[in-house]
Amino acid sequence: MTELFVLAEHRQGEIRDVTFELLTKGKELAKKTSTDLTAIVLGHNAGNHAKRLADHAKRVLVIEDPRLENFNSEAYQMVLSQLISQRKPSLTLMGHTAFGVDLAPSLATELNLPLATDCVDLDFEGETLTVIRQVYGGKVNVKARVRKSEGYIVTIRPATFETEEGTPLGGKIVTIESPLSEDIEYKRFIEYVQPPAGEVDITAADSLIGIGRGIKDADNMPMMEELAATLGGVLVCSRPIVDKEWLPADRQVGTSGKTVKPKLYIAVGISGAFQHLTGMKNSDLIIAINKDPKAPIFRVADYGVVEDLFKIVPSLKSKISEAREAHT
Amino acid sequence: MEIIVCIKHVPETAEADITIDESGKRIEVEDLVFDINEWDDYALEEAVQLKEKLGGSVTAMTVGSEEGDSTLRKCLARGADRAIRLTDKAFEGSDGYATAKILHRAIKELPYDLILTGAQAGDDGYAQVGVTLAELLGVPHATMVKKVEFSGDQARVNRELEGGLEAVIEMKLPALITIQTGINEPRYVSIMGIRKAKSKEIKVLGLKELGLKEDEVGKAGSWMTVERMFVPPVEKEVEILEGTSDEVTTKITDILRAKGLI
Amino acid sequence: MDFDLTEEQKDIKKAAREFCEKELTPELAIEFDKKEEFPIELYRKAAKLGFTSMRFPEEYDGQGYGILEDCLVTEEMCRVDPGLGVAIMSGTFALPDLVLTHGTEEQKEKYIPPLSRGEKVSAGAFTEPEHGSDLSLMDTTAIKKGDGWVINGDKQFITNAPVADSFCVLCQTSPDAKPTYRGESLFTVDKGTDGLDVTKLKDKMGIRSAITGAVSLSDVAVTKDNLLGELNKGFYYVLEFFDGSRIAVAAQAVGMAQGAFERAFRYAKERKQFGSPIIQFQGISFKLADMATKIQTARLLTHKAAWMFDQGKVDPMLTAMAKAYASRVAMEVTDEAIQVYGGYGYLADYHVERFHRCAKITEIYEGTTEMQKLTIMRYLLKRM
Repeated sequence: MTELFVLAEHRQGEIRDVTFELLTKGKELAKKTSTDLTAIVLGHNAGNHAKRLADHAKRVLVIEDPRLENFNSEAYQMVLSQLISQRKPSLTLMGHTAFGVDLAPSLATELNLPLATDCVDLDFEGETLTVIRQVYGGKVNVKARVRKSEGYIVTIRPATFETEEGTPLGGKIVTIESPLSEDIEYKRFIEYVQPPAGEVDITAADSLIGIGRGIKDADNMPMMEELAATLGGVLVCSRPIVDKEWLPADRQVGTSGKTVKPKLYIAVGISGAFQHLTGMKNSDLIIAINKDPKAPIFRVADYGVVEDLFKIVPSLKSKISEAREAHT
Repeated sequence: MEIIVCIKHVPETAEADITIDESGKRIEVEDLVFDINEWDDYALEEAVQLKEKLGGSVTAMTVGSEEGDSTLRKCLARGADRAIRLTDKAFEGSDGYATAKILHRAIKELPYDLILTGAQAGDDGYAQVGVTLAELLGVPHATMVKKVEFSGDQARVNRELEGGLEAVIEMKLPALITIQTGINEPRYVSIMGIRKAKSKEIKVLGLKELGLKEDEVGKAGSWMTVERMFVPPVEKEVEILEGTSDEVTTKITDILRAKGLI
Repeated sequence: MDFDLTEEQKDIKKAAREFCEKELTPELAIEFDKKEEFPIELYRKAAKLGFTSMRFPEEYDGQGYGILEDCLVTEEMCRVDPGLGVAIMSGTFALPDLVLTHGTEEQKEKYIPPLSRGEKVSAGAFTEPEHGSDLSLMDTTAIKKGDGWVINGDKQFITNAPVADSFCVLCQTSPDAKPTYRGESLFTVDKGTDGLDVTKLKDKMGIRSAITGAVSLSDVAVTKDNLLGELNKGFYYVLEFFDGSRIAVAAQAVGMAQGAFERAFRYAKERKQFGSPIIQFQGISFKLADMATKIQTARLLTHKAAWMFDQGKVDPMLTAMAKAYASRVAMEVTDEAIQVYGGYGYLADYHVERFHRCAKITEIYEGTTEMQKLTIMRYLLKRM
């Protein structure tokens, strides 16, 4: 039977969450297209990974090689291009992550298989593969058709599909000999580096004030710090604020920063690129202040204020301050 | 070091109103301000800084219409030595794959040690062109890079991974690197730069000059065809708080109090 | 006929816009407006990028452009903030222009390059407590002594005086000349010269970061190397200088009007009353249409005056028209902008009141509107 591949992503001994999200979607698609869901794991001593994956797939293909322990797109591409050429899966899914972004385009190009990147949904309509992608910073969605082919590669945005635990599928684990015969010539993985940890653990805070590009200027930072202090919360941010070095990197919420789930998240001047939304959309209560009524942040917020933040913040600060004083 | 930097002229949409046009397949761009793609801005700056440190030259290249010249001139004013625009009616409707094929034809004829692109574009966001281009050229690549160093014929780069972690990778040159925002601080365009840019030429190459066939590019040469555009559905129904600033902040305070958050 | 800017001019405008929007922040604008200080850091930053030396030749580290390109930058600066914008663009006021047209090679080498690079600030000391619009007689005198001159007198409303490194001072050298203006000469005086004293003027209505001072000269001894151009030609030199600098003031006015207009326009789209954005009310929308029309007219006039100047066909009537009209438009548009904002417009935090306060100066300095109208009439009578 034709297979549908889901490429497992792991790092520092852990399978990444996106893998299970993809397997959940893969299961649904495999059922619809009457294909076998096969999880692929490339690694070294990957037995435990394979066992976990077996619960979520009909088959697990394991390729063991010390050179596959840490992700190196050159080595991964050598293995996967052989595997896909031989087994001809109808579809190969991987995450639109630092892993998938580095691997999928070159793999697809080598194999001459159509690639759709950063998809938030996909479906087979008859024999045609259609995907949904977000464009213009998440303000618009596109439905696109992928050129007809006997196989496709699709990268999926993380946190798009929810992982369903379901009944373990008891997939068969098949170990395949590593096809890596020659040296990895061009590219070497050296090490992981973790930027120095900050003093504040933003994942532990109950209240977070998230700020973004709308803050406009470093001079406005004290105003935001004061709001956070009044609320007894911590100031966090989206990427542009870290790029400008107005806050340290450990305050960044989103895919390249931390994922947070506080009781309260007030987003101020954040338009809501998906990279940021992914990191905060599961907060208990989200209040968004942004002057653009179409800003994507309002799609995940519980309450929204469409107004210039500079008009709201000073007033909000004094109101909260009054409320706290009345309380004590 | 000979550096080629691929850049894209894109509409600024972060703070603009976006409307989908009558075809349902594009957005209205008439009232939007176009500029260099945000990620490419950092890639250009990195290229110029590397040239200033190591010598050599920087070539800025883009695929698109004549409108892109203002962005190419910006690259020249910021320190690129030459600019190449790849333009042809046949290129219209190209997706990331077709765009990479066009760039490939132009670049394979040029000397280079390093190719830089932005990690992605702010408009269609494929995050695909750079890596596809590297594969077509047969050179190694690294994506979402936050730091670049060189020793001999090796590039040592820090890739940004999820959760703030970075992976250090070494690659043999020539190589292609896609640049993540925040890697440097892009400089302003100076008047001196504009004056210097005057004597630099923007070279224009089309389908024929590049030796491409019509079915290799544009819609025919693409993997993706846009069927329709639509406004994304909401994940949850937001309640918009209306009123004066004073009324709104009172409402927020009431909500916070009711939930025991203050 | 071509009304369009060249690609190069558009690039200059865009470069200035990007710089101003990032650097001339509303917070800095309010801060400097409050503390009445010259924004020296911003001035140096702008100079490094070439914005303050647009009209100086390349051999003196300038950019080699004309008044028109200078106006494009001025307009962008004042559009983002009139106070900071005027301050930055006036850092190289008067002295370099006069040295370039009338100075010796030594004077050019001495003064222009450091001004182009933003290392120095210059000033023009023409106005006196008793002589504002009427410069035909100076109370400040320069008396020949040996090989040099000794200057005595007071100057008033001197832009940059408290921070200037060099002044260009208009003095009476031949008190008996008939008419008296044929006895006026220009001298350069450097900071630190004995007898030169400067006091800062405080509590100005607008352009408060473009600081102003009073200059007193008491037995200031200068050498013959400080004489600028020919003896007794100073008055003519200054008038001729104003033909260019007035265009710059017109550009300031256009920029201020544009900035206030854009703020009001955005606000009118966002502000809701009676259930709809106020821009949908005719009272507001017609106002905005009028504002835009006036700005466009003022800009065309200003650009034409600048273009004529750069072509070497200076038309003092057109310059006077541009200055008088653009400054009036700046007053009207900034006033209407406050009206669009309603009560909020009356508050500093909403910025348009600052634009209005700043706009007033454009009707006063470099020749009041009344003086411009006299010039216009003088030429009309000659030409009609």
